Amino acid sequence: MQYRLVLLLTLLSFKLSAQQKQFSSDDRGKFIYYEVVEKAVVKDSLLLRANTFIDLYKKSIKKQGTTDTSIIAKGVMVIDKTILVASHPSGEVNYKFTFEARDKKYRFWLTDFEYIPYGRDRYSNYVPTTTIATPLEKTPGKLSAGEWKDIVEAAYSKTAKFADNFKKALSTGQAEKPKRKTNTISTKKW
Amino acid sequence: MKKFLTAIFSIASTTCALAQETPTSPLEFSGSVDTYYKYDFAKKSNIPTSFASDHNSVSLGMIDLALKKKTGKASFVGEISFGPRGQTQSIPDAANNNSSFHIQNLYVNYDFTDKFSMTAGYMGTFIGYEVISPVGNFNYSTSYLFTNGPFQNAGIKATYKFSDKVSLMAGLFNDWNVYSATRGVSSIGGQLMVSPVEGWTAYLNVLSGADPLGYGTIEDLTTSYQITKAFKLGLNAANYDRADDAGGYAGVALYPQVAVADAVTLGLRGEYFKIKDVGAVQGTTYTGLTLTANIKSGGLTFIPEVRLDHNGDKPFSNKTGGAAPNAGQFSLAAVYAF
Repeated sequence: MQYRLVLLLTLLSFKLSAQQKQFSSDDRGKFIYYEVVEKAVVKDSLLLRANTFIDLYKKSIKKQGTTDTSIIAKGVMVIDKTILVASHPSGEVNYKFTFEARDKKYRFWLTDFEYIPYGRDRYSNYVPTTTIATPLEKTPGKLSAGEWKDIVEAAYSKTAKFADNFKKALSTGQAEKPKRKTNTISTKKW
Repeated sequence: MKKFLTAIFSIASTTCALAQETPTSPLEFSGSVDTYYKYDFAKKSNIPTSFASDHNSVSLGMIDLALKKKTGKASFVGEISFGPRGQTQSIPDAANNNSSFHIQNLYVNYDFTDKFSMTAGYMGTFIGYEVISPVGNFNYSTSYLFTNGPFQNAGIKATYKFSDKVSLMAGLFNDWNVYSATRGVSSIGGQLMVSPVEGWTAYLNVLSGADPLGYGTIEDLTTSYQITKAFKLGLNAANYDRADDAGGYAGVALYPQVAVADAVTLGLRGEYFKIKDVGAVQGTTYTGLTLTANIKSGGLTFIPEVRLDHNGDKPFSNKTGGAAPNAGQFSLAAVYAF
């Protein structure tokens, strides 16, 4: 009886761990990842840090426009498919990123997610199979439902990771990163 | 009680492990498996193009395994296949009809800059529209242009990417389809890629040097245009001339495809293929029409196909074994890519 209970709890723990958070929807019905963050920093510093972050990741996110209170950018994130201990790219998700800052407060959101599947080319490299992207909100047919669910979950996971990295970048000062003191060892005195 | 607590602890650690995000591995692993059934209306294998050769048999294609890793600017790809499509029906077959394996790709690449890279090793050919792997083709059967052209090239090549719309490749290669050169590094090849508008990519290819039978030059145009979300049009045209007027071939194939549902695409391949005259020996001409469906679910693609070929010189057989100008086949294939 004890072991049956343990088995039941084990199975339940797998299910709970497998559940992931999902995108919310905005008033256009588009998926959105939205956060408002309180931060005791002036608006100009927040904008500077956000610009620095986007410049650092310029290969995957490009600025489309800036004002004295906001930044708009377009980005791309690659979705991987994991097989055993290795993985390969399975597609990319394009998105629109918006950042707005006020004194001691900022908000950002990612929306307009669109998916482009990858396929293996003749050299065994994964490349886009089409230039026409599919919105993530699209309701898939029955045959594609399982795969689409995995794509949306992977996109959310990558988005959440991007958001975490962005918030970390905005929480640090613009000053240079604190240099690690390297211990030098002298063999002269002992 | 002790056993119960131990069990609870194991549940907690399992939950924590699953909650952690699995990091992306730098080693890429992928591949495919495929199987098919084909019925030829002449009740024997009749159409002389590559792969899917068995009549009235549930037969194997191949299992294909690929590894890729990039570290900094350097990367490698190693791809190997087993099974009829990946062994005896591929060129070269290392053990000559005995159970062996086939190298699909084995090369290293170095990105000197974002625009300039060099690649050396054994690679899928840059010539032509269709490839060996069933994952890379819409149709399960292959065209005459594919069967008669190079499958793979060993060599060294340099690629310069002027922009996302234009790139140029030039290289030195062994003779076609051999792991090691039989007549030295004797071929020179090049490829110009242009993308005039979004969704349209065209490759102009040329390869000149040693081929399986002598020396020759092949010029090839491969292009595809995703015109709308549902409609894509592909085209392959090639001309091959062997040295000393020893013949060659020319052909063109058109590949219109239309997505009729979320997971279903219908495609047609219309091909004209001519084997050229050699002196007084007349060449011959094949035409073919292939109707194919791709029905996808996750990594699985189910491919029903009907193919009708014609050649006025009657190279085909009919049901009674006599010469016939027409050949037809029906096939069902399943390809799983992972």
